[in-house]
Amino acid sequence: MADYLAFPVPQMTDETFWLLRDFVYEHSGIYFADNKKPQLENRLGLRLRANNLPDFDKYYYLLKYDPQAARELRALFDSVTTNETSFFRSPPQIQAFQEKVLPEIIERRVADGGRTLRLWSAGCSTGDEPYTMGIVVREVLKEAVVGWDIRIFASDISEKALKSARSAQYSEYTLRSVPPEIKRKYFTQSGSQYTVNEEIRSLVDLQYLNFNDAARVRLMKGFDVIFCRNVLIYFDDEAKKRFVAQLYDNLNPGGYLFIGHSESLHNISRAFKLVHFPGALGYKKE
Amino acid sequence: MDEAVLDVIRNIQDLPTLPSVAMEVMTLAKAPDVSIREISECIYRDPPLATKVLRVANSTFYRRGSQEIETLHRAILMMGLGEVIGITTSVSVLSLLGARDSRGASMRASFWNHCVATGLIARRIDRKLGMKSQGRDFVGGLLHDIGKIILDGYFHDRFEQACELSSRRRCPLHLAEQEVLGTTHMEVGHYLTRKWNLPPYLVDITLHHHHPDKAQFRDLTALVSMADLLAKARDLSCCGDTPPFVLKDQEAWETLVKLGYPMDGLDVERITFEIEDIAQEVEAYITTASEAAPEAAHG
Ligand SMILES: [Fe+2]
Ligand SMILES: [Fe+2]
Repeated sequence: MADYLAFPVPQMTDETFWLLRDFVYEHSGIYFADNKKPQLENRLGLRLRANNLPDFDKYYYLLKYDPQAARELRALFDSVTTNETSFFRSPPQIQAFQEKVLPEIIERRVADGGRTLRLWSAGCSTGDEPYTMGIVVREVLKEAVVGWDIRIFASDISEKALKSARSAQYSEYTLRSVPPEIKRKYFTQSGSQYTVNEEIRSLVDLQYLNFNDAARVRLMKGFDVIFCRNVLIYFDDEAKKRFVAQLYDNLNPGGYLFIGHSESLHNISRAFKLVHFPGALGYKKE
Repeated sequence: MDEAVLDVIRNIQDLPTLPSVAMEVMTLAKAPDVSIREISECIYRDPPLATKVLRVANSTFYRRGSQEIETLHRAILMMGLGEVIGITTSVSVLSLLGARDSRGASMRASFWNHCVATGLIARRIDRKLGMKSQGRDFVGGLLHDIGKIILDGYFHDRFEQACELSSRRRCPLHLAEQEVLGTTHMEVGHYLTRKWNLPPYLVDITLHHHHPDKAQFRDLTALVSMADLLAKARDLSCCGDTPPFVLKDQEAWETLVKLGYPMDGLDVERITFEIEDIAQEVEAYITTASEAAPEAAHG
């Protein structure tokens, strides 16, 4: 956060905030609630400076009417998505996954006798997400975990991120939302670094995947849950529709898709059922 | 089983009653030819009430223009009679049943947080659907669960049992209430709103908000029912289980579809994001509506 504060940013009026908020939502599906105004101000403040503009109104006009708008849009998306990742990011989503989704899927599997779980962390970055998923699965299944065939696919387009994910080493800061007992159970501390234990690492299968590689994405079959958070923002509407339809096909019936905490599939997909969990949204394939 | 709970409630002598002025406003409002003057004079007879009504009318929740509304007469002209009567009802009930009371504080606090949230969300959806409920959206949301306050106040232990049962069995609260108490918060609310002489739409909402298709005021009841669910989804629930749900499969949604509202155009995700920080709005509303009046407003 500190780098946002390093230079003075002009004030954003409420009216301009509403315009920009709607613009960002319309073009990216990411919503900035009223209490996120300072956040949007800081993020777009960087773009303001990059474009040498005196105020946010001018910036809005640039987006809306300038022939260069498409290029700026891309830069805007980069600045509004948090590149920062962490374990147990967006706790209500993780809670929904832990308390509602996994128990529901496990119950169904137990009933039909096939004790497999297939999860996908699509756009896994430095691995915080797939390892979090692994920890949650382990917490839900407890000792029964030995009887299950569990695989968590974790894919990313960045080799650098994948390399870091393979090392499974994290700082105290990345683990700031992790409850102490979870930290003790699933991490080994050495100095200021924490390494994910083998028990969890063995569940996670890290691999390079480009979402534009349609043939390979199509091969990803039979998932129970897909986390694809803050990825869709990089697609235009048509590509988004195609990709989300593909994710739908990648899921088992009864499976769930989670996207970013403030991301929306409105107007993108009608196939999924939108499910309201306490504090979080999920998309279910029926 | 002991004496039926509903019969006991009917015989409770000290059941809370609305202040006489508020009761009179309700009666007046039912008359087809009531004048602005009659209503405003009636409210002014209870100066602290009048002050609170004006304060709420001037708060960010209602205020439209930049000019301060200084008299009730002006408030009615600017906002409409329906809104002002709605505010009067809200303020009266909130001060009667103490939104920030020390007694049973935590249940009361979460109860009113849930109810105010339901009201605010109903108001928001009302605007999106162009329903023009004129304040009845908010008041309906505010009072839909009013029966719970009575059950909690007079049958505290059994009501708590019902809440526990609902959480444990993951069943709707009203089914647990039926089992433990032999009645539901809807029936009790229905009784209370009639006893208080509240307008028919409120009687309807308290009774049918979990089955809006059965209501007489179907659109309002469905609206409140939907807002109730969304409030729960934002963790502003009160008592009992809060299961995940698919909004479009709910009776409330289906009722509004049947009634011809443009539900297809409603961006449910966006509404959900918009109400993410509803808890702060709720807090601000309760403070505005229940602070002690600094001085009488009549001047
Ligand atoms: Fe209720
Ligand atoms: Fe409710």
